[in-house]
Amino acid sequence: MLEINQLCFRYAPNETQWRFNITVPKGQCLAIQGPSGSGKSTLLSLIAGFLSPDEGQIFWDQHPIHTLYPWQRPVTSVFQEHNLFEHLDVFSNIGLGIHPGLKLTPSQRKAIDSGLERTGLAGFGARMPGELSGGQRQRVALLRALLRQQPILLLDEPMTGLDPETRAILYDMVLEEKQRGVTMLLASHDNEERRTLADIQWNL
Amino acid sequence: MFFRLLPVAVMTALPLLAGADTQPELNVYTHPSFAAEWGPGPAVKEAFEAHCECTLNYTVLDSGGAILQRLRLEGESTPADVVLGLDTGTMASARQIGLLDHHERKLDDLALPIKWKDDTFVPYDWGYFAFVYDTERLPEPPRSLEALIAAPDDLKIILQDPRTSTPGLGFLLWMHSVYGEQAPDKWQQLSGKILATTQSWSDGYFSLFMNGEAPMILSYSTSPAYHMAVDKTDRYQAARFEEGHYLQVEVAALVKTSDNKPLARSFLDFMLTRDFQRHIPLKNVMYPAIDLGSEMPEVFDRLIEPSQALYLDPADVSGIRRRLVNDWLDALTR
Amino acid sequence: MANEVQAPPFSHPRWQLWPGLVIGSGLLLLAGLGLGSLLQASGASDAGRLLAGSYFQNVIRFTLWQAFLSVILSLGIALPVAFALNRFRAFPGRALVLRLLELSLVLPTIVAVSGLIAVFGRQGWFTALLDAGLPGHGWNLYGLNGILLAHVFFNAPLAARILLQALETVPAPRLRVASQLGLHGWWLWRAVHWPALKPVLPGLAALVFTLCFTSFAIIMTLGGGPRTTTLEVAIYQALRFEFDFTQAALFALCQLAICGSLWFLVFRKRLDTAFMPNRQLSQPASLVRGKWFGVACGLVLAAFIVFLMTPLVAIAVRGLPALIPMNEPIALYHQLLPATARSLLIAVPAGVGAVAVALLTLAAANRASGRWLAVIPAMTGYLPLIVPPLVLGTGLFIFLKPQLGNPMQGWSLVALINGLMAVPFTLQVLRGPVSSLDSASKNQADQLGVLGWYRWRWLYWPILRRPIALALAYGIALSLGDFGVIALFGSPGQPTLPVLLYQQLGSYRMTEAAGTGLWLLLVLISIFASLSGVSSPSSGKGSGAIKPVPEPDHA
Repeated sequence: MLEINQLCFRYAPNETQWRFNITVPKGQCLAIQGPSGSGKSTLLSLIAGFLSPDEGQIFWDQHPIHTLYPWQRPVTSVFQEHNLFEHLDVFSNIGLGIHPGLKLTPSQRKAIDSGLERTGLAGFGARMPGELSGGQRQRVALLRALLRQQPILLLDEPMTGLDPETRAILYDMVLEEKQRGVTMLLASHDNEERRTLADIQWNL
Repeated sequence: MFFRLLPVAVMTALPLLAGADTQPELNVYTHPSFAAEWGPGPAVKEAFEAHCECTLNYTVLDSGGAILQRLRLEGESTPADVVLGLDTGTMASARQIGLLDHHERKLDDLALPIKWKDDTFVPYDWGYFAFVYDTERLPEPPRSLEALIAAPDDLKIILQDPRTSTPGLGFLLWMHSVYGEQAPDKWQQLSGKILATTQSWSDGYFSLFMNGEAPMILSYSTSPAYHMAVDKTDRYQAARFEEGHYLQVEVAALVKTSDNKPLARSFLDFMLTRDFQRHIPLKNVMYPAIDLGSEMPEVFDRLIEPSQALYLDPADVSGIRRRLVNDWLDALTR
Repeated sequence: MANEVQAPPFSHPRWQLWPGLVIGSGLLLLAGLGLGSLLQASGASDAGRLLAGSYFQNVIRFTLWQAFLSVILSLGIALPVAFALNRFRAFPGRALVLRLLELSLVLPTIVAVSGLIAVFGRQGWFTALLDAGLPGHGWNLYGLNGILLAHVFFNAPLAARILLQALETVPAPRLRVASQLGLHGWWLWRAVHWPALKPVLPGLAALVFTLCFTSFAIIMTLGGGPRTTTLEVAIYQALRFEFDFTQAALFALCQLAICGSLWFLVFRKRLDTAFMPNRQLSQPASLVRGKWFGVACGLVLAAFIVFLMTPLVAIAVRGLPALIPMNEPIALYHQLLPATARSLLIAVPAGVGAVAVALLTLAAANRASGRWLAVIPAMTGYLPLIVPPLVLGTGLFIFLKPQLGNPMQGWSLVALINGLMAVPFTLQVLRGPVSSLDSASKNQADQLGVLGWYRWRWLYWPILRRPIALALAYGIALSLGDFGVIALFGSPGQPTLPVLLYQQLGSYRMTEAAGTGLWLLLVLISIFASLSGVSSPSSGKGSGAIKPVPEPDHA
């Protein structure tokens, strides 16, 4: 269970303070909705550890994780864009998610290849992100997130601006992951997306 | 405790052991043109090592000034035994460092235009400052300093800066020797003819004079010897000035802290033998400090003979140098 | 699971902070030691009287004035050149022109000055042309003319190179908008070019100012007389000729104060020059361009290339007879080749060191928090430019007290100082690319645990390869052409290339010296040529990934 307890944050001393209190049961998907600037991305960044809260705690399975560095948290994120390292090819981009020094075992390499095949990207391993379409890039990003096998998946408008076919592929990937027991937070202002993926809805 | 000190003791002893059966070393600080492959340095090293049963090491610093600064920084721990390449302009400062010892040599056989009576510095060569001119572009050079100063401003000359260069300082003293208190006025009259005042002799000679930028450059009366003997051309000659020419003497000295003074002194003695001096005329392009007799290259007979050697005692120079430089600055920036 | 992977090597934050801080503090210590030792070995100079004297004030006034004019001229010329190169992005030989721009900065002064004189001097080619076409033109190289000309020759190419890089980073969307709106003239400048140039101009101006402020041999050779004395000349005079160490230290402090406060202003306002902003090349969108603009660009570029090339050609013409002797066996090469080897032995480690120091300094600068801590790595980039090398060398000498009986020690010392002197340039080349990793990528890398060595290997190395190659070329070339440092420390026995050059000059071997000068030029050219051949990372990877595609078309 992911518990967010009186988490407070403000960007600058004079700006409005955000305060978050949420609980997400294990294996469920919580959709957060709200207009731009309502703090959706801020919350996800706080959970990932990219931002430090002023006060409050985050617990995963009763263990505090708000004191950990981003790389120590059981979390993986997919954003609307900028998920990939532009100077590295698709294979390396995914591989870095499995081992941060790209030291991969043969079975891990195979997992990447079969993952690419499953998402309709067979043979794209040597491509650079710049050569992919937006939908292809998001598929790569999501594939990397899934292969990391972290218990918490943070989705920050991952399908905004994509065509229906790509969305369908991504929905399937996410739902499959949820069935495996991954806990998710989804920031989105798209009704269809929330209806399809979320178990719980929450308004900011 | 003993075991902790053991490595230290071994480390300290190692160099001594290693040095035990090698020859003694003589460390000489000198400047680049002496140590150059074609300079006197290599031949001198070979000749000296042939009979001293020692190893002669050169450390090459970029000028007499650099040698002095190195000595000053190293102080008593300096590895130098001999410094070679100071001159009459740097002698006074060198003496003040207090690291040089008396040479205790008689110096009877010197062939210098002046009487040498210094107890610290041993001269090894000498020369006159002079204006070298391009005969193709200036067939009729001025015959005196006065004529140069009075020449029309079309005649361009290249000088060196007395604040950074030995010949530059030499010319400042030359002007002072000839004109005394009138020198600043003469400098002003000269100023229209000065094309450039370079940092060093090399800058002026290479970049300007050899590029044909001006037909006359402040240099040495011996410069034509090189052009005649090695370049095989009579094109560049020195202009003889009636007032006389200022003298430069290059010297060497013994370092007080040397741990092998007998060897160092024998090097100073060697310096005034033919085995050393025969390399001076064409390799250092200066006059030797002793009479070489028939070994003197013929081209030296064709050099100018100044009517008078102008020379100020280094101790006196150090007292007036700053004032002369300031007067010179005033005259040329007024 | 990623979390189970061992912590990557060197992933602790201290590895980013401490090496750079140690290097920066070491440099500060050296400068302090050098200055301190000079002050301590003091003569009886009266500081107040000295600083109030008219000599000193004239020197300061002239130094500032010529540096100011040099900056205006260099930037004024570099700007149109950069525009021209930005406009013509694919003409044959463009890569050669870029190499040419890199070259002039690293040419040894005496070689470059002799080339300039051969073209613009009283007997020069250019002057001869003027005489024929414009009798009574009154052109005279010697004086402020010559100083400015030489400073433009050395600095305008560097400035043009940096400005060009800034122009090339205009984001593609902005160009597209400008193209769609049909912007031209003033509005194109306001909307597109000025925003790209604005961030680099102050730092660039400060760099050129510092280089001209501390200029020395050029000023003396071309300045004509003592009217054109700079502060560095006064420092040299005091240190080497008068042995008045107090005066030298005072002058050095003044130089530190003036250039230091300039850099402080630039640094404080965060207008630091990022010399190679490494965003991808924006795709050329066709902007409205008047025909006259193209013609003007072409003319400017051609004139500038001729200006840069003719002195090099003069150097070649003068040096060739020595390198290709007609009758005797080529004895010169018996000296040139070993000297080249020795030079490289010093210059390559120095260049590698300068790049390493620059990278560590940048890492520390990014990591350092707190006002005073951040100052130290920031200083590393400027201190070697404004502390006279003589002072720095003196400090290092006292610090290490080398025994020059051992050649390796002496040489590593020379390599060390040469490396330090090259750091400001390598730092400027690398600063942009190092900071080009955007925060989204950094967050991603944090989450994936790509830290320490892994982050360097997978995130920085691919984008830094080419800038590092260029920085390395600058580092090696600057050290290779250096004479001052090696002369200061003394070379045991055999000469390096510049020392060989000065030995030849000092012994009337003018023809051979010209040959050595040309040889040095050729070595520098081959260094830049070979290191600029380093390919970009993407082109190394198989399938047609060479075309730079900033964004997918259908994004």
